[in-house]
Amino acid sequence: MAIKIESDETLLQKFKKYRINQKEYDMMCGLLKREPQGVELALFSALWSEHCSYKSSKVHLRKFFNKNHRVLVSEGENSGVIDLGEGEKISFKMESHNHPSFIEPYQGAATGVGGILRDIFTMGARPVMTANYLCFGDKEAPRMKSLVEGVVGGISGYGNCVGVPAVTGFTEFHPSYNKNILVNAFALGVLYPGEELALSKAHGVGNLVVYVGAKTGRDGIHGASMASESFDDKSAQNRPTVQIGDPFFEKLLIESCLEVIREDLVVAIQDMGAAGLTSSSFEMSSKGQVGLKMELDKVPLRDSTLTPEDILLSESQERMLLVCEPKKLKRIQEIFHRWGLDATTIGEVLPGKNIQLFWQNEKICEIDPDLLVENAPKYERPYNLREAGSKGRKNRGSSNFEVFDVKETLEEILSSEYGTSRNWIFSQYDQRVGSQTAMDCSSSIGVTRLEHSKRGLGLSLGCRPYLMRLDSQIGAADSVLYPALNLAIKGFEPLALTDCLNFASPENPEIMTEFVTSVETISEVCKELNAPVISGNVSFYNETLGSPITSTPATGMVGMRASVENIPSDYFGEKQTVYLVCNHQLETGGKIEEMFKNKIHAQDKDINIKDTASWILDLLDIANDSNVKMSKTLGKFGLAYALSRASTEFGVVCDKLPNFIKTKEDLFRERMYEVLFAVENGPKLEDALRSKNLQFAKLGVTAKDKLIIESYLNTQLANLNEKYKNSWENLF
Amino acid sequence: MKIGVKVLPRKEVLDTQGRTVQSSLSENGFSVSNCTIGKYIVLDVNAKNFEEAKTQVTKMAEFVLYNPLIENYEVEQL
Amino acid sequence: MKWSSYDAVWTRKTKGYLFMSRVGVVRFLGTNCDRDIIQAAREFGAKAEFLWFQDQFNIDDYDAVVLPGGFSYGDYLRTGALSARTPVMKSVREFSQKGKPVLGICNGFQILCESGLLPGVLMRNQNMKFIDQWEELEIVDNKNPWTQRYSVGQKIKLPIAHGEGRFFAENDTVKKIKDNQQILATYTNNPNGSAYDIAGITNDKKNVVGLMPHPERALYDWMGSSLGKGFFSWL
Repeated sequence: MAIKIESDETLLQKFKKYRINQKEYDMMCGLLKREPQGVELALFSALWSEHCSYKSSKVHLRKFFNKNHRVLVSEGENSGVIDLGEGEKISFKMESHNHPSFIEPYQGAATGVGGILRDIFTMGARPVMTANYLCFGDKEAPRMKSLVEGVVGGISGYGNCVGVPAVTGFTEFHPSYNKNILVNAFALGVLYPGEELALSKAHGVGNLVVYVGAKTGRDGIHGASMASESFDDKSAQNRPTVQIGDPFFEKLLIESCLEVIREDLVVAIQDMGAAGLTSSSFEMSSKGQVGLKMELDKVPLRDSTLTPEDILLSESQERMLLVCEPKKLKRIQEIFHRWGLDATTIGEVLPGKNIQLFWQNEKICEIDPDLLVENAPKYERPYNLREAGSKGRKNRGSSNFEVFDVKETLEEILSSEYGTSRNWIFSQYDQRVGSQTAMDCSSSIGVTRLEHSKRGLGLSLGCRPYLMRLDSQIGAADSVLYPALNLAIKGFEPLALTDCLNFASPENPEIMTEFVTSVETISEVCKELNAPVISGNVSFYNETLGSPITSTPATGMVGMRASVENIPSDYFGEKQTVYLVCNHQLETGGKIEEMFKNKIHAQDKDINIKDTASWILDLLDIANDSNVKMSKTLGKFGLAYALSRASTEFGVVCDKLPNFIKTKEDLFRERMYEVLFAVENGPKLEDALRSKNLQFAKLGVTAKDKLIIESYLNTQLANLNEKYKNSWENLF
Repeated sequence: MKIGVKVLPRKEVLDTQGRTVQSSLSENGFSVSNCTIGKYIVLDVNAKNFEEAKTQVTKMAEFVLYNPLIENYEVEQL
Repeated sequence: MKWSSYDAVWTRKTKGYLFMSRVGVVRFLGTNCDRDIIQAAREFGAKAEFLWFQDQFNIDDYDAVVLPGGFSYGDYLRTGALSARTPVMKSVREFSQKGKPVLGICNGFQILCESGLLPGVLMRNQNMKFIDQWEELEIVDNKNPWTQRYSVGQKIKLPIAHGEGRFFAENDTVKKIKDNQQILATYTNNPNGSAYDIAGITNDKKNVVGLMPHPERALYDWMGSSLGKGFFSWL
């Protein structure tokens, strides 16, 4: 066998270049029964990276509750799929693009959106909604304002052009993200009656391997090693090339790929994401247990100087790999040409199970893909069992904050980056393209209508990092319970969950403890709600110079409602009676500074998951059966903030607060969990709540233009709304 | 003194706009093998000669006018 | 002779003949509101089908043509510039010259301007950002097929979603548009810096209409407003 690319690099230099350690090198030698040759080291490096192999998380991800009667796919494919009945299926997933977004925020965020969309339409599902979970650092930190502007611009530029509406989002700020922002993109696609799933398992000896979409360039080669380079380096020319996203190309790819899938022309299809051609081809081959021959010199190139290794590792965007029967190639090419794209045969399916790589008619590598895919290292990283009780609470403080004036404190919150409107962000996103959006980013959940059955699909993103800073069990439980609650009180039954687990180094046992606790807790809550985890992504090493980010297991919970008509609003209306419904598990809260910078005031208690989950499902029934006009979950900053946010045209006159609110401070504490319901027929709601034994208190009735809370607050709405709406521009 | 700053995508970086315009031109029967689209910035600076102006403008380019991750620039006298 | 085909549709409809108007919805590479328009047209009883940008069509086969919104050719070079030079636009031009109704929404409006079927140009929004939000419009003209179901002065709520929607034309062109009563609708709170708060215009024969906001996104209350219906219900 010819070894084309032998260089003089010493082994140590190779380890550095390929980010491999001695132990893994020895493993490779053991599997191959010789030393890796030629491009093999590059292949191992790519497929054994944390990103592709999930080597530190795999043993724990298996614990996820991921099956129920609806689940069609929840592992082994690009994205999970559930069956909604009536012939409708949905596929959704969430993925991180943190590091690229810190380097080049516009392109990093844009390609993050592009990548997650490809994961969805690869399954044969037409993407119909997206969402973004963003964590930024302190707004005064270096580059932070331009990072915010760039990330939002990139998501807007890409998502709007592709034509998939952004229906909800989450944005938070904390200094732990100063040097490592989080950009997590969610996408959901639909398959309507008669539309079949597409899978990535290659099969059929003699079938062709076809490359479609953009040509291969130098984009993102050895992107992983970028992290270790200092950005003060003058050598701009030597840096790995930034991946550029082209939403226009992606749109063409969506339409053409869906067309070939609908016409049943492909055997298997896979997008070229991280580690590009290598991961897509090796996974297709390994899953199908068939061999593949690939002629790398047939790969369409943008840059003719690329070597075989470059071609294997390039992360150029908007490319797909598909396998088809030879007789169907012509029709496939017609369809792609119609959409202005090329489809090029670069190989074929072989008997046996080896992948054979050719360069100018010479075989440069033959290897069993299972060695790289199935036999990737799996690490049982050390962790501790979470200590229950106060020892688990890292940042618990008992500092009793003081509120001098309710109105002043409220206005301070409404004009801070923590409490002000995110309209500046979401007005840059097209929230309605497709004409199916029933609730947009200004609401507490995003809702799109299913075209066929006219049912509503709701989406709410979870994980509130300040709770993770308090305790990973509470934070992780909340990252499922909170979005489930948001959906339930609008009448949406929680169906399934995707997660994007952003953590620092798994080699740090403390971080690993939080990781394991998060996985186990999320799984437990999902099981109680019968909403399985159907897809996800793990992003480790989110740290800079040893300082870790807040562990952030972001989630996307999807729910369904029988129709999109008369969904309870987020805002009070005329002649409504307002109720506070509660199931107190834990009290937290404090002033802005305390909650977001320092220690958090919290009770020393755990959340009873079973109890809370069944309470949420009770509220789902109430929301659907009791003609609820308005509903809202209370969150950070407690009742005063929630009431002010729900009061746009109509406020409320609260003449009697429940007995657990005794002080001004209590108005700003979060008592997990409480929700506001407003109805026109109070007694009917009261009966329903009593019949389920739910704790509630009547707060008062709505009134135009004013918000009155006993003797604590008496204000016109205009001023509060002004603060909420217009503060962003002053802050950034 | 009028100075021009030509900002173009780096050769190895994908120029999405150029790619689309090139393919549209080709489809309409024009023979074009490549198309690159960038920005042209005209600055009026106070300087005795081009060398001095170039030094100033180079500083501005490095400060904000181009993004070294994806673009190159050239300074020209107008 | 004004908008003759529209008269024909209208007459046949009012006389109670069983008639479905035939709507052509143009698809360029990158158009992304195409399916929305097909749905909206069908919802109101019209027969709607796609027209492909590379193909010319027989103008007698259609009673109305819509150029939907989106990002044709990724908005590269100039919005609408590359689309305006595709084969289908030759047919759209011919169609419009016969006085038949043409509606361009958002990117469709930009394409109509680039192809000279409507005067003026749409430039980057004043704040240089994409804006998606609900806007109040005032209908200024209803003597054209597309807004005939509205009354002059009627206020309607429609969403906008564009990065380049600032209508601009030379002073004498704008004056001509005003004098000829070619302003279709104006914004109450101008979101993008458009001249004279213009949200939409018509050509001088009033059969070709361009509109930046999206009426197809305001057909039912659950969408946030149902006041966009009138643009399609006459079909």
